[in-house]
Amino acid sequence: MKKVSLLLLVLLGLQTQAQITTNADTVCANAIGEQYFVTNTPGSTYQWNVGGASGAVLQSNGTNTTTIDWGGISGLYLDAITVTETSAEGCPGEPVTLDVFILSPTANNIGPFCPGNPLTALTGNPVGGTWSGTGVTGNNFNPNIGQGNYILTYDIGGCTTTINVIVNNGPITGPIQHF
Amino acid sequence: MKNLLIIILVVFTNTLYSQCVFNETSTLTPPPVYEPGDIVQVSYTLPTFIGININWIHAIQINLGAGWINLTPGAPPNNTIGSAGNWLWDNQHTYPVSNLDFGPGWRFVNITTPEWGTFFNGPFNITFTVEVAETCTPDDLSISISIFDDCETGGWTGGGGGCCNDPSFQIYNGVVQLPPIITSSIYHY
Repeated sequence: MKKVSLLLLVLLGLQTQAQITTNADTVCANAIGEQYFVTNTPGSTYQWNVGGASGAVLQSNGTNTTTIDWGGISGLYLDAITVTETSAEGCPGEPVTLDVFILSPTANNIGPFCPGNPLTALTGNPVGGTWSGTGVTGNNFNPNIGQGNYILTYDIGGCTTTINVIVNNGPITGPIQHF
Repeated sequence: MKNLLIIILVVFTNTLYSQCVFNETSTLTPPPVYEPGDIVQVSYTLPTFIGININWIHAIQINLGAGWINLTPGAPPNNTIGSAGNWLWDNQHTYPVSNLDFGPGWRFVNITTPEWGTFFNGPFNITFTVEVAETCTPDDLSISISIFDDCETGGWTGGGGGCCNDPSFQIYNGVVQLPPIITSSIYHY
């Protein structure tokens, strides 16, 4: 029984590791070593091709898996990955393709701020991501966090970009004196 | 009414005696369909050859589609009470009088009059094996048998045309079945 449970755990682990990829797939700009696969048929060989996406480099070929280094220019690349299976008898199948969207998020700089400044909206592109960092509340930055240089991170689909936000000290004014 | 009856009788008579081969049968083992590498045993039987106008059976030709290879003949046809001679397996033979290009198959070698066939009228049975060639395309796997008598081969000029164009007997008319190559979608780890 213990062995069965262990096997189930292992299988469950493998299942969660291999994600079913929707078309188009999304990768981060300049991603290295991204692994792709098709279901293996014993005896078959597989010819992979990567095209269209500027800077993309195919790192391996021949088997049902491949590794790709992606370039840095964002955008949607149709049929970016193609794989053609050849059966054990030497007969080629129909090519299977995958579109790829290379994601390179950007964010607008804000600041510098002074104490007492109001909450300021944080803007990331493409929209829909999440912000994190000191002073972040939802999609806003609160300058009243205090003086400092803060690094805020914008994350969308696992791809990130950062901005530096400076909050200066306010002037320290002494009491009013009478000459 | 009498005229109509005469017409029907004439049509019936021409149909009945327009060829020398009847009731041919065949078997394929294993039965279709076939993939590359399959080896098939074929058996063909002509129960009776009716030699109209003293036409004699002269050759049995095997017609194969381009998808077959490795044709291997079995035992020769029977000639129990026929003319002196023997059945000879031949991949190709051109009959000198008619220039008929024969083969592959069995042809009768009449040792008395080489231009003639045998007067034996059956039954004739042949077996052979063929193999489906390796391929990636649905190649033709047709199998048929053509019976030639000595009117067709040119050795007998008194045949009068009765058997000079016997139709081929179609044993099989399929193509190579190719196992589908189904590649899954591309997944990203």
